Amino acid sequence: VSVTLREPRDAAAGPLLTAEDWARSRDRGRVHRARGGGRRWLLLWLLAGPGILAMLGENDGPSMVSYTATGAAYGMGFFLPFIVVTFAMAIVCQEMCMRVGAVTHRGYGQLVLERFGPVWGWFAASDLLFTNLVTLIAEFVVIRVGLAYFHLGPVIAAGLGVALVAVTLSGGRYWRWERIVLGLAVFNGLFLAAAIMARPHWGQAARSLGTFSPFPGGSLNTLLLLVASTIGATVTPWMVFFQQSASADKGLTHRDIRHGRLDTILGGALAAVFGCGAFIVGTRLAGHAGAGIQGLAGAGFPSALAHVSGHAVATVFAFGLIESGAVAILTICASTACSAGECAGVTASFNSRPRTATLFYTANITAALIAAGIILIPGAPLLSIALNANALATVLLPVTLVFMILLASDRQLMGRRANTVSVNVAAVAIVTFVAGCGAAYGIDSFLQAAHLIPGG
Amino acid sequence: MERPATQGQRPGDEPALFLEPGQLAAAIRRPVPRAQLGRRATIALWALRVLVIILSAMVIYTFFSQL
Repeated sequence: VSVTLREPRDAAAGPLLTAEDWARSRDRGRVHRARGGGRRWLLLWLLAGPGILAMLGENDGPSMVSYTATGAAYGMGFFLPFIVVTFAMAIVCQEMCMRVGAVTHRGYGQLVLERFGPVWGWFAASDLLFTNLVTLIAEFVVIRVGLAYFHLGPVIAAGLGVALVAVTLSGGRYWRWERIVLGLAVFNGLFLAAAIMARPHWGQAARSLGTFSPFPGGSLNTLLLLVASTIGATVTPWMVFFQQSASADKGLTHRDIRHGRLDTILGGALAAVFGCGAFIVGTRLAGHAGAGIQGLAGAGFPSALAHVSGHAVATVFAFGLIESGAVAILTICASTACSAGECAGVTASFNSRPRTATLFYTANITAALIAAGIILIPGAPLLSIALNANALATVLLPVTLVFMILLASDRQLMGRRANTVSVNVAAVAIVTFVAGCGAAYGIDSFLQAAHLIPGG
Repeated sequence: MERPATQGQRPGDEPALFLEPGQLAAAIRRPVPRAQLGRRATIALWALRVLVIILSAMVIYTFFSQL
């Protein structure tokens, strides 16, 4: 139960309250009044956010390009329902993050560091920083692709991304940041709009969803890359860091777990629908040399769509790419900053002022600046970075998820809100599946690259 | 409640604070105790780390070989 501290305290004995406390308290005051007044929809509106943002943030540029590329390569079939399955997996993982954040009020990085020691804590943070930087570069690349369709250059893409991070950081309130990013994330629905406008074969889509067929042919390596990319497009290390930190920063408590679950499920459902939208758009390119389009250096997919489905579809799709990259830049920079602050043991909250959370704000903007700078380097291997970003995230994901399960099952931390046996069984099955796919992809690709087995 | 937040205040200075005690910034900064991992759990975690490092090296090698 949220405590209302009314009685005066001994000034010398009471803890100093920070701006972070007061800002969070104002948000919790609204929740308190909505709950007390029985205003259920207002309560859901106030408590929703971290789950939707984690899920729609993960429908990022590389993920949408990956879904579209898979649709273009294989057409309707196995990968359409597989996208839905991966989001179901993501919901199980993200629900644990929300629950741990709401019960412990601490971010993932801080808990791993304190509970399992600095070696594990910094290893997890290093995983995250590396994958985040690679993914951020890919986000800027995808914004560049979207803008290229409107004949706008990479400097505008870099400037737009960095400006967005700077603007959303101003204000010193988690609530403000969350609502701006949620407002942008709504436009992830452009992929669904593009799919509807592209007039796909809906009957075929329904059959694929129901039967997981036809199963794709082709080389094992290509298949593994696509499976790893699809998983990496749905469950990633930054999501785990982000949702737990955001849940804590928002001020969720154990009383809000039910709404946190709704928020996560709603986010997962929306992201699955929009992800399927991107895939379905891609299927329109199957048979039109869609498999051969690797349009990250130019404006491949939007231009190809313009030829097959018309300029309206291509324009909506290009705007969708810009949106998906922009939202992901904001959420990934946030997770980078939270992780940096938590591991360094300093304030890591949007509710703090820049002068009291210098590392948090610096890490947030620096991550964006580095990624933006890299896409402006002439001849940088952007295509390869973008294509490998999701696969790398899949390889590094099992470590993050194992610690997540350990934290969520920890009765000393979580009390009676620790994982039940059924949640643990589902979570372990997911980690095993993800680790297996990542390992198979990593080993197979390496053996091919080292010419130890023939290429696919 | 709606007045702007002011840094450096104490709980008694404000009419209401809608936070659980564990949500205060000072409480969040208090570290949680270290987990006592069994030998098998420690070995399993190290094995996972080593596996991930090897796999990451493979992916990075593959990435550079594609350049």
